[in-house]
Amino acid sequence: MLKTLLDALALISTWEVIIAMFAASVYGLVIGSLPGLSATMATALLVPVTFYLSPIAAIATIVAASSMAIFSGDIPGALLRIPGTPASAAYADEAYAMTRKGQAELALGAGVWFSAVGGIAGVLSLMILAPPLAEIALSFSTFEYFWLALLGLMCATLVARSSPVKAIAGMFIGLLVSCIGIENPGGVPRFTFGITDLFGGIEPIPALVGVFAVAQVMRAMLTPEPPPLPRRKFGSIMAGQWKLTRKYHWQMTRGNIVGIIIGVLPGAGADMAAWVSYAMSKRFSKEKEKFGTGHVEGLVEAGASNNASIASGWVPSLLFGIPGDTIAAIAIGVLYMKGLNPGPTLFTEKASSMYAIYLMFIIANILMIPLGIAMIRVAAYILLAPRSTVMPIIMLCCAVGSFAIGNNMFGVVTVAAFGVIGYVMEANGYPVAAMVLGIVMGTMVEQAFVTSLIKSDGSVLPFFERPVAAILAAMAIGALLWPVMVWVWRKLKPAQTVAATTR
Amino acid sequence: MRLPDSVTGSFLVVLGAAAAYGGYILPPVPGQPVGPNVFPLVIGTGLALCGLAIVFGIGHSFEEEEELIPLEDGQAAAPPPQGKLQGKLYGLRALLPPALLLFYVFAADRLGFIITAAIMVYITSTALGAKLKLALPLAALSPFAVHLIFGKLLRVPLPAGLLPTPW
Repeated sequence: MLKTLLDALALISTWEVIIAMFAASVYGLVIGSLPGLSATMATALLVPVTFYLSPIAAIATIVAASSMAIFSGDIPGALLRIPGTPASAAYADEAYAMTRKGQAELALGAGVWFSAVGGIAGVLSLMILAPPLAEIALSFSTFEYFWLALLGLMCATLVARSSPVKAIAGMFIGLLVSCIGIENPGGVPRFTFGITDLFGGIEPIPALVGVFAVAQVMRAMLTPEPPPLPRRKFGSIMAGQWKLTRKYHWQMTRGNIVGIIIGVLPGAGADMAAWVSYAMSKRFSKEKEKFGTGHVEGLVEAGASNNASIASGWVPSLLFGIPGDTIAAIAIGVLYMKGLNPGPTLFTEKASSMYAIYLMFIIANILMIPLGIAMIRVAAYILLAPRSTVMPIIMLCCAVGSFAIGNNMFGVVTVAAFGVIGYVMEANGYPVAAMVLGIVMGTMVEQAFVTSLIKSDGSVLPFFERPVAAILAAMAIGALLWPVMVWVWRKLKPAQTVAATTR
Repeated sequence: MRLPDSVTGSFLVVLGAAAAYGGYILPPVPGQPVGPNVFPLVIGTGLALCGLAIVFGIGHSFEEEEELIPLEDGQAAAPPPQGKLQGKLYGLRALLPPALLLFYVFAADRLGFIITAAIMVYITSTALGAKLKLALPLAALSPFAVHLIFGKLLRVPLPAGLLPTPW
């Protein structure tokens, strides 16, 4: 244990890792603070850069950039009422109300401080949950993997803030995309239409860049420019945070726990965690009436929650290759490329790398406090950059980055195509995250499904025979039936109330 | 690009059916009961069923309407999008980014990275409302910066084309 820890320290204390981490932190803070550029987009655009780094440095950039971007989305949320990332949307109103009351420092300070605390809580959950789960996962057969993958896909559709039917449709679209190519049980070209470039299948990373970056530039074409940030002088940002921590320690802990749980659930990420925690904070607060008028309580809980989900989202990603959120989906792609294939054996064979990931998460969250404070102070200048200068650069990075992934122009075509797909889906209420999950998990789902079918030799029974498989199956089927039950319940309830009034 | 659910749903039905049929006609692997055809068959069927459900409006009640943030006094109202004035063509502006990416695919090898990138940056930037004195320097400088990072530092083989970079 101690030796692994020392090995991990040696892994991360190289100049490459330190510089990569610092640069990625600044990059994450800037991208996160610009409205319309999300943490997922920041991470997706980083991927081409990670090709040229060592495995640990590559993961360091992702860890640092995603953690920072989630916090820094709070800055325009508090100052402009425009969330920088979707994860800050839940409480942007509340934070802005605080700014109007002259408590901008307190709101932003709470953002920085509770984000860091939440991030560290998330890492602790990763450290505590992952190794024992890896022990269990070692005995998994394809049946368990099949149900687990199905459960993951169903979770993603359940938590989407949209129609579950559309979410499931989105997931199917993603799975269909993953069918393309010759990497299937028969090794035959499938849905390639004779195009050689499609033989290798659709790479998840260009698809992600298209869905999250190009689609965003497309939306920017049709939406008005956000107003510039009024320049203001800030007082002490960290003042009063310790008092808040003591006063709202229970809310903070609850936010951490909710964030961790939502992070572990596949497909649900920081934005979901923030919405749920903010709602929870309001529901259980003693001062409900203060919510919406610039009350810090909800900020504490939601801020602690959305950053906790970032680290815990890595739990299913590292163990099973099932992404806990869209950022982890990108991280999985990078892990594969760097020879750190997700799976339970990662924790025994590459233990020092795992420890290095934990350490980097902790460092990133500590680094967030000074860098975050600096960022808050210079935010007014960064937000001066008009969209018409930022978006063209994003476009260039999309083109060059997607080309760099395979040194192949087909990557650029993929990015453009998925930009359109992502844009159309989003505009019509189909959750994009569900499709992304389908693309990332497709090959794994199919492999587990087909191998299980071959092993079971036409019988359904083996899918339920093993105890863990049976439990996972019950959960997956429950998740599938849940929207149906809610739907039936909603249909029945008005009927009951009508019956009650007529009686 | 907000289409009625019946349109998107019908599209999914067609897509699902096509996928299922495409899976069905794939050759089976000899001596193996389950081959590459099963998965597309399952997915295609599922997608078609989802499409049908969407056409009939099942699950629509779950959709949350986008919450509009009410304006408060002292906060300037966002200018109404000019789309109303320019009619339906305005919506097509959204297709500009993917179109520019395709332009990059076809032009980069002939024109070279720097020229293609400059054209892309200029068009995107003016489409987003930049003035000439901002868009021109941006288009002139940013391709070199990106080339420096990706081409020089990360050694991505970017096409030189007509205008090779000084390094």
